[in-house]
Amino acid sequence: MSAVISTECLTKYFGAHRGVDGLDFEVTRGETFGFLGPNGSGKSTTIRLLLGLYHPTAGHAKVFGQDPNRHAVAILGKIGYLPGELVLYPRLTGREHIDFVAHSRGMSDRTERDQLVERFGVIVDRPAHTLSKGNRQKIGIVLAFMHRPELLILDEPTSGLDPLMKDEFHRLVRETVSEGRTVFLSSHELDDVQRVVDRVAIIKEGELIVTGTVDDLRKAAPRTIEFRFPVNVDPEVFAAIEGVRVLDTDGRHIRLSLQGPVAPVLQAASELDPIDVVARPADLDEVFLAYYRDTSADESLPEKTREH
Amino acid sequence: MNTDISLLDLRLRRRLLIGYTLGMALYTLVIVFLYPEFKNTTSLNQLTKHGSTAAALFGIAGSLTSPSGWLGANLYDNFLPLVMLLITVGYGASCLAGQDEDGTLCIVATLPIARRGILFEKVATLTVQAVVLAFVIMACTIVGRGFDLALPISHLAGISLGIALLGIDFGLLAILVGSRTGSRGVALGVTSAIAAASYLFSSLAPVVAWIRPARYASLFYWSVGNSQLTAGLTLGSAGVLALVGTALIGASIWAFNRLDLH
Repeated sequence: MSAVISTECLTKYFGAHRGVDGLDFEVTRGETFGFLGPNGSGKSTTIRLLLGLYHPTAGHAKVFGQDPNRHAVAILGKIGYLPGELVLYPRLTGREHIDFVAHSRGMSDRTERDQLVERFGVIVDRPAHTLSKGNRQKIGIVLAFMHRPELLILDEPTSGLDPLMKDEFHRLVRETVSEGRTVFLSSHELDDVQRVVDRVAIIKEGELIVTGTVDDLRKAAPRTIEFRFPVNVDPEVFAAIEGVRVLDTDGRHIRLSLQGPVAPVLQAASELDPIDVVARPADLDEVFLAYYRDTSADESLPEKTREH
Repeated sequence: MNTDISLLDLRLRRRLLIGYTLGMALYTLVIVFLYPEFKNTTSLNQLTKHGSTAAALFGIAGSLTSPSGWLGANLYDNFLPLVMLLITVGYGASCLAGQDEDGTLCIVATLPIARRGILFEKVATLTVQAVVLAFVIMACTIVGRGFDLALPISHLAGISLGIALLGIDFGLLAILVGSRTGSRGVALGVTSAIAAASYLFSSLAPVVAWIRPARYASLFYWSVGNSQLTAGLTLGSAGVLALVGTALIGASIWAFNRLDLH
């Protein structure tokens, strides 16, 4: 699979302040790549570096095999970009924005844009300053997708959208990827990522802390198992098992965090005649939070998913 | 050449440009209509008779009641350049740095257009604004030929071109400072300060000996401060203004290519 985006030790400092530091990752053609991190972690900085809006302090990025700063025109012609904080010209209507961008991109076929306008119910005849955040975001979606770009770079794309529109947007992303196009999706909305993303990278304070598929991250993350017993049990029975942490207990009820095989836990529990058991895989938000917890990430997550 | 960005900016600024231009046109017509009332008021010339520094501060020199003195003192030496700079420096500071600060430049900067191309379109918009104002005012002063303000059209065209180039040059300076710093405020502040100093050098040069050599460093001198209303705009003066503008465009391309955009 060819890399649409690749970075090597990509670093950006703003004076003494670190934007991103030493980023190494690849996004291959036809995948949806999730870029996760809370506000201020370096997601938007990375995107601006990929678009050639920022100049790296060190390292480099390649998009379609080219340097975004040196070959911006060729690269931007193949990209659709939805910024995290979309700012429209306040007095222009949605239609005027769409016409301006379409004409600047040399688009003559109106089919795709008209379909997107209808699909998302975009309000095109009112000045942008009179529109809600969600309606402005819909205009941004049309601007990003209407020229059928090979690569979509989407920064917090569902911000402000209602649940129905979020569903529609997720469908649009899946259709896009099914056509062999590539989506780079930056978000702190884990629902977006869980529903459409193939691979994910998590960034923390400007550094990538993990990359992998969503399934891999889930498997690697601690699972939670809860047992209910007819009598009080000693939690040390479970705490002594490798990979097990007792999260809480009130004697008859015990909740465990498990990382590793489940058989030793089940064997230990079966000797105590449990009356109920609940086990569930880790949600992506638990994975995400585990990586972001100040104290526990290094202890609870396996090395095999770590890159730094 | 793509003109979408130029047309968009002109559209966004049309109310401001129309307002300033109509206001200045109205003011110019009032000046023109009033001239017959003042052309024989020789006492006005006392103000400049002995090389008054106060008059020089307002850019006024020579006879106030002559057609060139009247138009110079009331329009071309001070008020028109000031309004011209309000328009062009304001646009220069806002068209890149200002739009980047408020976020709208992102729409343009992520189109498949080279930064050099974006800058050229901004310069085109700047030029249109300066030329429209200068030549609408020129048209109004030509009306003055019916009110005893009979100046050669070539001189009026020359000084109008000079003022347009003056506005373009200071607008380009604002673009350069904005591209270098990414700050609309710094671009406005630095350019306004340099423009004020440039104006003072040119206007005080006739009455303050030690300033006289510095007038050559003033764009006002090459535009309106060297008897352009009575002698016309020389090729040399136009050349200096054009050369400065060309150098500023080159420097702005260099700076804008290195600017981190948001």
